[in-house]
Amino acid sequence: MSEVHEFAVAILRSGTPLIYAALAGVIVQRSGIWHLGLEGLMIMGACATVVGIVLSGSFYVAILLAISICVAASILQWFVIERLRANQIIAGLGITGIGIGGTAFAVETIFGSLAAIAAPFGVPRIGAAFGPYSGLSIFVLMMPFAVFAMWAVLSRSRFGLRLAAAGEHPFAARSVGADPSIMRLVAFCVAGVLCAIAGAELAAGSLQIFAQNMVAGRGFMGFAAVIFGAGHAVGSALAATFFSLVGVVGIRMQIHFGAFVSHDLLLCLPYLATVFGVWITGRARNQFKP
Amino acid sequence: MIGRLEAVLRPLAFILLATVLCGIVFEFAGYSALTMFDSIVQGAFLGRGALEKSLRWALPLFITAVGVGISFRCGFFNIGAQGQFYMGAVSAAFAADLMTGAPAALAVPLSILAGMAGGALWALWPGYLRLRSGTDEVITTLMGNFIAALILVYVTSGPLKDPSGSGQQASTKMLPPEFRISGSDGVSPAIVAIAAVVGVTGWLLVNRTAFGTLASLAGRNPTMLRFQGGKIWRLGLMSFLVSGALAGLAASVELHGPSGRIASGFLPGHGFTAILVALVASYAVAATALAALFFGGLFSAAIFLPILAGLPASAIELFNAVIALLITANIGMRTGIRRFLPRRWRV
Repeated sequence: MSEVHEFAVAILRSGTPLIYAALAGVIVQRSGIWHLGLEGLMIMGACATVVGIVLSGSFYVAILLAISICVAASILQWFVIERLRANQIIAGLGITGIGIGGTAFAVETIFGSLAAIAAPFGVPRIGAAFGPYSGLSIFVLMMPFAVFAMWAVLSRSRFGLRLAAAGEHPFAARSVGADPSIMRLVAFCVAGVLCAIAGAELAAGSLQIFAQNMVAGRGFMGFAAVIFGAGHAVGSALAATFFSLVGVVGIRMQIHFGAFVSHDLLLCLPYLATVFGVWITGRARNQFKP
Repeated sequence: MIGRLEAVLRPLAFILLATVLCGIVFEFAGYSALTMFDSIVQGAFLGRGALEKSLRWALPLFITAVGVGISFRCGFFNIGAQGQFYMGAVSAAFAADLMTGAPAALAVPLSILAGMAGGALWALWPGYLRLRSGTDEVITTLMGNFIAALILVYVTSGPLKDPSGSGQQASTKMLPPEFRISGSDGVSPAIVAIAAVVGVTGWLLVNRTAFGTLASLAGRNPTMLRFQGGKIWRLGLMSFLVSGALAGLAASVELHGPSGRIASGFLPGHGFTAILVALVASYAVAATALAALFFGGLFSAAIFLPILAGLPASAIELFNAVIALLITANIGMRTGIRRFLPRRWRV
């Protein structure tokens, strides 16, 4: 039994940041914009959380710092895409570049070197009552509720319908008095909060370390989960779980087949799973196309 | 005329805006922005030997950026230049390793061709998936970057590992001197000639062939292309292959030229910067050369930045990213101010 629990813990650990990132991608996707800045926002959240914990000694100050930085960056991205009419993909990659370059710059400015920063403690754990799962952070516990809330807001609320209208038919949204541009701003702000949580969970959920470039494509994977999950909250969360499942299986395979297959090639598996997921989506979509 | 003037002024205005924004950030972080910009200009262009060092970084950047420009022009966001660069480097390194001892006049061109083939193949599968089943090329090429980086780690720490390496960063053995087409300064007649051939061929391909005309049409108006009877399938695959092959060529030039070997994670920002170069130049070949020189200069200045201004080298990365964020912004000369106003205030 303990092996099953271990497996579940590993999937929850690696899957939770992906799921939060995917939720952030979903809400922005619904508003009609491809969010390729997830990667950058995640690394900003991860860096701000660890640096905040080290400097202030309080987790709550750190997470507030992370959220405010990510929301500010999201508003910047919204402004450039919506008001300046920049290309969504390039602007998203620009935000990602700002995240990667900016965190390196900030870490070197504050600590004087690019070495990994270790925090004395991380996100509060869920406690001994949960048996083998007690080492997980509270964000893991919150994750199913976040997915459910996102589904409820997007599919069962007035706001969600207006958001979808802003994405699919901006004129319809405007005709009921919802400014699509403002709807997108709200979506970007929520995405900023979710990315901050994703980054915090990644850096301080179990490791309590921030290293350069530690997100390593997870933000892009979260975006791919949005595509694979067809922009649906639950579908995207399941897609993100699938990607992290493949990653965990790859790590398990190192233990058993490590002598035959290179460690680095097994690390490719989640990226390959992502390509596979997007490929399936493309095929499915093309069949419905006239 | 106005259009052409705007095409020159627009990127300059964005670079200036990015400079001001970054300057403010650097001042707040406690650095002297003026000292920094002065040392960038000195380190990149004006200092003794600086221009040559800038050229060393600019030449591979130019080769990759011409390819990126061609696929963007065709309307395909092939942002996998980094992965295609790495796969080109890996296959060129394998070819060079196989031909150890062969005459250099035979081995070097073959190895460069192998590099181009490697890059082209790494662009082929996202292109095929895109055109065959509508798989979004942005994600596949991005994932291709990460996979190629891991393959590079595997190759440099496995099959082609230099056994005498220090262990800090896995790398291959140095190529024998007769296989090198330049010294470690990276500027030699051979490399300049390769870049010139790429530039001229790229210009001819874009401006003087049916492929170039149809590719521009495909990027601007795919429906029109279909009515004209153009085949998006062939155009798209061709543009993917050309951009991949050029990224692979840049990698083989890097391998046989200044680097002399490949290491895990070498030139990590090459692909992103090449995309930036292509965007700043709005895909025109001559402008690409100028933009490549500018960003190559920034890259070479980044190496001296910590020494001259006490500023982390990541400052340049941040600056590049701010330019990327802004460069596609659609602020015309007339409509520029209006966009900042709330809708009800607009006329």
